[in-house]
Amino acid sequence: MAVIGAFCISVNQEACLNAQMPGKCATCAEVCPHGVYALDLASGAMHIQNYNACVGCRICAEFCPADAIRINPAESEYLSRYPWTLAAVEEVHAKAQTGEYLLRGFGTQGPTPNFDTITVVPSQIASAAPRDKYREECDLEVIIGADTCSQPLRLKLPFVWAAMSFGALSQEAKQALAIGAALTGIATNTGEGGLVPAEAWLARGYADEARAHKQWDPGGYLVIQWSTGRWGVSADYVNAGDAVEVKIGQGAKPGMGGHLLGSKVTEAVSRVRGVPVGSDALSPCRYYDVQTPEDMRRMVAFLRDVTDYRVPILFKLGPSRPYADVAACIEAGADAISIDGLVGGTGCSPDIVTQGVGIPTIACLPPAVQALKDYGVHRQVKLIALGGLRNGLDAFKALAMGADAVGFGSAAEIAMGCRACYACHKGNCPYGITSQKPELRARLDPLAAGQKLANFIHACAEEVKILTMLSGHRAIADLSTEDLRALDMNTAALTGLKLAGYERPLPIWEALAPVGRQGNGHTASERRSGSRGARPKTRRKPPLPSLN
Amino acid sequence: MKTIDAKHKDLRAVNQALRASLNGEPVTVRHAAHVHGLAAGLKQGQVEIAGDAGDYLGVLNAGATLHVQRNAGQYLADNMTAGTVIVDGDAGYGAGQYCYGGTVVVRGDAGDFTATMNKGAVILVAGDVGDEAGTYMLKGDLVIVGDAGANFANYLIRGTVYIGGAWRSLGHNTRVEPLTEADLAKLRGYFEQYGLTADPARFQKVVAASPKPFYN
Ligand SMILES: Cc1cc2nc3c(=O)[nH]c(=O)nc-3n(C[C@H](O)[C@H](O)[C@H](O)COP(=O)(O)O)c2cc1C
Ligand code: SF4
Ligand code: SF4
Repeated sequence: MAVIGAFCISVNQEACLNAQMPGKCATCAEVCPHGVYALDLASGAMHIQNYNACVGCRICAEFCPADAIRINPAESEYLSRYPWTLAAVEEVHAKAQTGEYLLRGFGTQGPTPNFDTITVVPSQIASAAPRDKYREECDLEVIIGADTCSQPLRLKLPFVWAAMSFGALSQEAKQALAIGAALTGIATNTGEGGLVPAEAWLARGYADEARAHKQWDPGGYLVIQWSTGRWGVSADYVNAGDAVEVKIGQGAKPGMGGHLLGSKVTEAVSRVRGVPVGSDALSPCRYYDVQTPEDMRRMVAFLRDVTDYRVPILFKLGPSRPYADVAACIEAGADAISIDGLVGGTGCSPDIVTQGVGIPTIACLPPAVQALKDYGVHRQVKLIALGGLRNGLDAFKALAMGADAVGFGSAAEIAMGCRACYACHKGNCPYGITSQKPELRARLDPLAAGQKLANFIHACAEEVKILTMLSGHRAIADLSTEDLRALDMNTAALTGLKLAGYERPLPIWEALAPVGRQGNGHTASERRSGSRGARPKTRRKPPLPSLN
Repeated sequence: MKTIDAKHKDLRAVNQALRASLNGEPVTVRHAAHVHGLAAGLKQGQVEIAGDAGDYLGVLNAGATLHVQRNAGQYLADNMTAGTVIVDGDAGYGAGQYCYGGTVVVRGDAGDFTATMNKGAVILVAGDVGDEAGTYMLKGDLVIVGDAGANFANYLIRGTVYIGGAWRSLGHNTRVEPLTEADLAKLRGYFEQYGLTADPARFQKVVAASPKPFYN
């Protein structure tokens, strides 16, 4: 599913200022970064020179002073010509002409199993009474590394910005994410492209490098990503943040490493990454300096040592074999594990990989949680769900499935203004989010975008709070799968959730159903003390891996 | 000279003792072959490793000088940004990977994937190297006095690879170029500085065929 030939452009000639008065308006040509419109300099008339180049970002429609433009998907053909839709036909033509496979930004297209077929179970008379969202407290804090490092990461809300690299994102977008984190007490993440210097102090809420004046409260955190390309990595870099995240993979391109096209490797990006200007920066698909699980443990050990046992060590996984991969991260010594699902976003990936490789997020979570439980570390080693989360409702469902926090990548881009045009890889983002071009970057104000990001997080936090309290809980850590039901057989089969109406997991899951949670969805210890149960101190090997 | 006996000590204990002892004087570490990540991320200091070193010696080194009297394990000087790491014996798999700067000298042989993704360090090997030496190098120099294995300098992007012996096969995006006067002077300088006996004139130079190779 390519991003070529997927949109139809209609311009209302009666409203269009240029059609009425040639030369008087050229807004669409000015704002379109993909060269769809062209101005005839002699006549002043505007025309469409390349329909197929339209990626559907709709910035022309947004900026058109006469509201004369409509961009409609060519998707009605989906029904009549599927599988040979216009986009599928254009894709074959493009390959036939160039001999190249297609790249895509942003993420997976079309329906895949997601949180929409899961519903939230509210509290009524048989379970613990609902709590009052307006007058009672709800604990949303998440602490990572409480018992392993001297400065645990204390997220005020159960959210993080997913890792998005400088290079894929503009410097302005990186700064906005840091400000958004500072305004909400959550964490931003360097991504694999090294540090944009201001990120480190903006994320903590300071507008100046000297950190003399705190500008944004409560102040957030910076996660330092350590990846296979090791772009811009030094001892100072790993010490610049509040956690180190060891990237193993991501949902959009698991098994492939990073992918930054040369067109986005500008002078500034080249300086941080050490790749020549204009040359593709392709991170290796694996660590050249890890060959065995023992090496991975040693890597975690030296990362703890270089950071003076101060900050937690996180792992980030693509969606492969969640049970075994999460188990391997636990064995390697992780304080938290992010697992990114099939639809996880990307700056640029081969489109067949983004579209067709990996496990949906909702199917990653149950085995991941099971691994944590089998090792006795669920809720101690934190689980962060990524991939396709759009709002507090999705977030709540992921938390109830056993995650401790969730991450937003694409949703963060959208909060900054993105219209999901799937063309980030081209480097011409009309909103300056995923572009390195100065004229497009100028369209993104980091302060305004930072505020929008913070607003989005606050709204999602309220949504999570509403759902947590209406299901009878005082803390997100008390949520469980009992707070959810699958709405169809497929979702029940993928997740092991009870099927609505049937009120049991499907028989294929019953043999694996975790013990200790029944009936009203509250654990014995929760019922006794109104808080979370005691946690085992040590990591023990599971008696019998029950999945994967 | 201060000495730290690493016997029965773990990484944290040894590195903490090392950091506490490095105040201008060189420090000797003994029995450190089981310590993986010794001298990680040091900004300064001079460390003498008596005997063998473990894996990840001097990882993220940011300015210290480390000298191993016998052999080093895998991933020597991994991701170093500054400083010098010298090994009198052999080094294992992946010596000098991901380095942004500094110098690595191996007086014996080095394993596969030596200097992979080197981004600016000078890496000298007096003996032979295994397969994939200099793979995806982005900057810096890799100098091999002996022979190299297969896929030598594979996907070289930038930086220079010099070799005194032969390679089994050359990787993608490589071009063999004649040595210039500047190359000869540079090699002579390296050999003199680190006491290596080799004749720069018999070396070959491998560079990237294109700084923007086409990947598809
Ligand atoms: C523009 C962009 C750049 C990204 N860069 C990185 C990166 O550098 N490292 C990484 O681990 N993941 C990267 N990702 C993936 C995200 O961290 C995250 O896994 C994904 O976006 C989550 O899915 P979502 O977009 O549906 O929220 C990137 C994603 C986007 C959209
Ligand atoms: S690419 Fe965007 S700006 Fe250009 S014509 Fe299409 S919708 Fe309008
Ligand atoms: S970030 Fe920009 S280029 Fe990417 S999908 Fe959004 S609007 Fe399009």
